[in-house]
Amino acid sequence: MADKEKRRSAAIPSGMSAGKATKSDSDVEFLSQAGVGELLRGAILKMVEARSDDPIGFLADHFCNLASVTDSSPAGCGDEEQMNGGPVSACAQEQQHLNRALWHLRLAHHSQRSAFSNNVRVAYDLLNISACQSQVAEAPEGPEVSCTDDPIGAGVAGGGGVRGGLYTQTLQCLCSEGGVPASTSAPLLRRLHCQDHEVVPYDVFRHGVLTCAVFSDYIRQSQKLYAEVCCPHEGPASRALCMAVLGTLKEALETSTGSDPDCCVNANNKAYTCVESNVKAIRYLEASAKISPNRLAQAMEGAQSRGPGGNMDAKEFENAAADLFITRVKVVF
Amino acid sequence: MSRLGAIVPVEEYLAESHVLFYLSDAVSQLLEHKEEYTQFGLIRYFAEYFSSVKNSNHVLFREFNYIRATPHNRVSFIRVFWRCFRQIGKSGELLSMQEYRSLLQLLCPDFSMEVVQSTARIVLMDDATDCLMSFSDFIYAFQLQFYYQEFLESVLAIYQDLLAGKSPNTVFVPTSASVEQLPSVAVEENDKEEQQRDGVEACMLADCVDALCDRFKHSHPSRACVREILDQTDKVSYYSFLMSLAKHETINQTIGALPSKAELFFDPEMDQELDKLIAQISVSPGSNSSGSAVGGLKEVQRRASPRRNIHHRRKMEVESDGSTEETDSSEN
Repeated sequence: MADKEKRRSAAIPSGMSAGKATKSDSDVEFLSQAGVGELLRGAILKMVEARSDDPIGFLADHFCNLASVTDSSPAGCGDEEQMNGGPVSACAQEQQHLNRALWHLRLAHHSQRSAFSNNVRVAYDLLNISACQSQVAEAPEGPEVSCTDDPIGAGVAGGGGVRGGLYTQTLQCLCSEGGVPASTSAPLLRRLHCQDHEVVPYDVFRHGVLTCAVFSDYIRQSQKLYAEVCCPHEGPASRALCMAVLGTLKEALETSTGSDPDCCVNANNKAYTCVESNVKAIRYLEASAKISPNRLAQAMEGAQSRGPGGNMDAKEFENAAADLFITRVKVVF
Repeated sequence: MSRLGAIVPVEEYLAESHVLFYLSDAVSQLLEHKEEYTQFGLIRYFAEYFSSVKNSNHVLFREFNYIRATPHNRVSFIRVFWRCFRQIGKSGELLSMQEYRSLLQLLCPDFSMEVVQSTARIVLMDDATDCLMSFSDFIYAFQLQFYYQEFLESVLAIYQDLLAGKSPNTVFVPTSASVEQLPSVAVEENDKEEQQRDGVEACMLADCVDALCDRFKHSHPSRACVREILDQTDKVSYYSFLMSLAKHETINQTIGALPSKAELFFDPEMDQELDKLIAQISVSPGSNSSGSAVGGLKEVQRRASPRRNIHHRRKMEVESDGSTEETDSSEN
């Protein structure tokens, strides 16, 4: 980062005519006073973290977002407005928070663990704020309601959390943005969702978001898999072939039993993390071996020799693949 | 963003999109127009700047060095030029090189004469550069010249070497000199003037350009397109080669600034606005029309983004400034 800062600050004096030392001094002063350095540093860090395909567009969005944050009224005034405006303005603000939270969640891919975790945290805090604000307007004892239905148990220090309805909405948006049709994601959401009145702690939120992100990827991959297996102009793929492919997928998923990525970090397990991570790694390797192209080809060959038994279209394939995934997802009671 | 493509080193990632260039330009601009831009806050300023870069509205009225600095800027400028002046082309007028330069200078006050001259040479095949040119001929040649300027310069150097009999790919082995120097021997035997007219062996040029592309750091047209063009003739002259490049549809699409020749003058939005305006003016040609004319103009100005962008940039306001537009309309 240091050389980039140097380049930035070097660009400024070189932009002015040489010899106007006093002018560039005052420029530097102006910039540091206005906090330009901090602003740009933050923007560059975010951009490098996200590695978007369109860096300029990313920066434009980033600054626009930031501008709308600073433009909108601070929390104090917001409460008053909500008290007076009633549920309507609270809804609008909530929507705004939801949009921004979704924007944050889109920034990093879930495989970039630390970046993704940071973004989930930011998104959670965003939605948390709106929850607190609306609860302040509604009832005095709102924030104190804890999620008694949470089997994981780790609550958020200091009370408060994301409203169940908002959490479910977030998950729905994530799935649909990830290209998963509503019918396919419905069973998943049934397992993950929380009731409207419930308060969702951070761990549950993170688990839900991560699962949805992985699920969208998974569905996209299975769609691609189907496209590989079937030739569009020859009609839907043979059922036997599809079943074979699904079979290998299932085997792979079963091999990685219990290694649902980072789903819940229970304090009690901390002692076993080293051993566990090794076991996990081995399981991942086994699983990926099971869905290697060779194995898949073998399975497909075997299926063809056993003879076709009708066809399977894209939708059915997708649903079946989704099923395999969803059965493995922990239910949030 | 793809998780697979993420393993690019930071410097490369930043360099590819010229992001640091834009950031430093944003800061320089900010310093130059402090009072103006700090009115609405710094964050707003950066948001506007990068939005305009993203929407290709950022090159209008900027200096020549800025416009040519990145491929994206060049594409944006070519597109802006097209959008502003395609109506002129539509009328079928032929303009001289000087007139085209004046048009360019309306958009970029210090636009280089050299670029326009080189463009004219492409269109007119190096002949009589004070001839008149059609808009579509000019703009496609201009696109090629401006976007691939470095590439064309390198090709010219290669071409001149080939003309003079020096092949860059020749390997001079001392023992069998006569065999290796065969191309140059052939050239010396021919009449030099004829050589200039006919050009060079197309396949030799193709090989040399291929080798150039291997090591070339700037943008260049796709090798396949170059090969395609050079495969069509035995001999090729520099400007006929360039003219073929300019007219090549695939190259045009790759650059992405202009539509195909058939659609060059196709602008239904502007046509509609102009029709409306003409209708309003012809219906009530009196003081009454001034209000509606201005209203119509306001809409026209909003649609033609370059115009709107002046006010947008200078005043950072969402609504166009009515008074300035009235003055503009009176010039028509």
